[in-house]
Amino acid sequence: MENLKQLVKELSAINGASGDESRIRAKIISLLPTDVKYAVDNLGNLIVEKKGRSSPSKKLMVAAHMDEVGFIVTHIDDDGSLCFAPVGGVLPYVVFGRQLAVNGDIYGAVAGKPIHLLKGDEGNSQPKISDLRIDIGAENREEAEKFVALGDYVYFTSEQSDFGDGYMSGKALDDRAGCAIMLQMLNGELAYDTTFVFTVQEEVGTRGSAAAAYSVNPDIAVVLETTTACDISGVEGEKKVCILGNGAVVSFMDRGTVYDRELYKLGFDTAKEIGVKCQTKTVVAGGNDSGAIHKSAGGVRTMAISVPCRYLHSPNCVIKETDLYDTAKLASAMINKLGAMNS
Amino acid sequence: MNIEETLKTLCALPSVSGGEKNAHEALIKLLSQYSDNVKTDGFGNVIGFIGEDNKPTLLLDAHIDRVGMVVTFIDENGFLKVGKIGIDNRTLLAQNVTVYGKEPIKGIVSTLPPHVADKNEKAPDIEDIAIDIGMTKEQAEKVISLGDLVVEEGRFSKLAGTRICTPASDDMAGVVSTLYALDLLKNEKELPFRIAVQFVAQEEVGCRGAAVSSFNITPDYAIAFDVSFAVSKGVSAEQAGKLGKGPMIGISPTLDREMSDKLKKIAQEKNIPYQIEVMNGKTGTDADNIAVTKCGVKTALLSIPQRYMHTSCEVLDTEDIRNTGELLAAFIKG
Repeated sequence: MENLKQLVKELSAINGASGDESRIRAKIISLLPTDVKYAVDNLGNLIVEKKGRSSPSKKLMVAAHMDEVGFIVTHIDDDGSLCFAPVGGVLPYVVFGRQLAVNGDIYGAVAGKPIHLLKGDEGNSQPKISDLRIDIGAENREEAEKFVALGDYVYFTSEQSDFGDGYMSGKALDDRAGCAIMLQMLNGELAYDTTFVFTVQEEVGTRGSAAAAYSVNPDIAVVLETTTACDISGVEGEKKVCILGNGAVVSFMDRGTVYDRELYKLGFDTAKEIGVKCQTKTVVAGGNDSGAIHKSAGGVRTMAISVPCRYLHSPNCVIKETDLYDTAKLASAMINKLGAMNS
Repeated sequence: MNIEETLKTLCALPSVSGGEKNAHEALIKLLSQYSDNVKTDGFGNVIGFIGEDNKPTLLLDAHIDRVGMVVTFIDENGFLKVGKIGIDNRTLLAQNVTVYGKEPIKGIVSTLPPHVADKNEKAPDIEDIAIDIGMTKEQAEKVISLGDLVVEEGRFSKLAGTRICTPASDDMAGVVSTLYALDLLKNEKELPFRIAVQFVAQEEVGCRGAAVSSFNITPDYAIAFDVSFAVSKGVSAEQAGKLGKGPMIGISPTLDREMSDKLKKIAQEKNIPYQIEVMNGKTGTDADNIAVTKCGVKTALLSIPQRYMHTSCEVLDTEDIRNTGELLAAFIKG
């Protein structure tokens, strides 16, 4: 299991925003075992088929998305500073006052007027990302163009860390945690034949998974994700959504999906049976590839199993290792259960 | 002396105001290359002398503290509440921080994700900031005490040309300028001044280290080295200098005009780029306190232009540090 944590770190260190998944896909392909068949489709989804000990009566698909949130350069001002737009949902306050990296290696500062020079209520409200600029130190547009082209991707520069009582932080844990769990399953033995899909463009509207679900055409899908945990200082009761340390999250509903009720219950029953912690989300919030998958073709019975994650879509997502392991164990156990289903 | 390497070394030191001892070892080592009389005082200042006692004393000042936070409370879930030490609280959410407890403790400033956050949220006040250290209250209390200092982490990055993005260049840039001048002067047989160098504590909380140290030294002349605002988005040329255009020579009723004029004249003679920064009273730097030490000290101020002050992505141009050092060395040689 220690390997799984290392794998999450290795995968999340790679830059791959929506539409720029080639590096993370190449990395994942390099980690596939030899006994699988894989293909990359027109959108860039990586579809991997692995044989199990038996063939299930219902076709099984497991999915996790490879892309992460990031930014894209939209314009270069005369003074050499870069205009940029978010790729996926990112709040300005997790960008303001820090460094971003264009193409992963051209560093720049994003900030504004120093606090000393603010007047009145200036600076009291959140700036718009469209009003922010990346300062790469260029003197003018001509110099900036030596380093940057319009459409270049921009990434967080935070440092990964292990901290506290088994916690880890870093960018892109959403959803490299899911990708790592799938890689671990692929490198192990399976009870039933399963198709694993590493999807693209989840963060810009679950676009890759829509195409992948159509071509794979499964009967049952399991989406492996990270999901919103708000168990932080000052947040009480149901508003915590889910809690780090309380295990894998099995959702009944989010903004994209009303999950298959029977699979939802089977998730909890299976967790109990194998002795791993399991919880649900206490707010209907967020969404994931399930939203596209469950209504693909003639409909797909879908469940989502997620690692609870604080500070999603920021330079520093935080997860707890025990939740990662619980999610991985539950995902594996679900293949056994779902493969045995006849109706 | 390699300006960029020295700056990188110093900006990595976690010397938040009140915790300057974290920077002492590195500073003593650097300053001892030029002075065989380096010491520290009880306030957290590092002081060195060069040259003979019978010459007038010229004091060189730069501050070694950086902005940060201080732990004020551990809540029932183990999150740390903090007070502000100069830091720009708009920049904190989801940042990597290190708490200097019994050992360095890593943490992340907590925030809500866009999936649930109010999109029109106000800038976070320091009271809203909570640090997630991944511990229960009981675990936290074993390694962290109230009053422990917190550093906002950020990388040292080379930008285009000779520009650098890093936390804490306020005021390690001033320290490096001073050291660079001493390096330029190291082979001079005789200087017209006895040089006193003070690398001081607690500038960010009210220029306190400078007041204490200059009282002890009692200089005849002083030059303070700090950073000042540079033109950037939202900051116009009328209120700021420009990156890469040389040191900003301060002119103010509180500064000695003869010294300012002499710095200007020397810059012109030696072809060193410079800019003029006019203030109408206090300068907000150590110069304010040094000038009124004991019977008064003739004081000048040289500032290195800098963008995004008090964030973890302060930007400056190392050529400005070099030219500040060149100007200082030329001034000392007279």
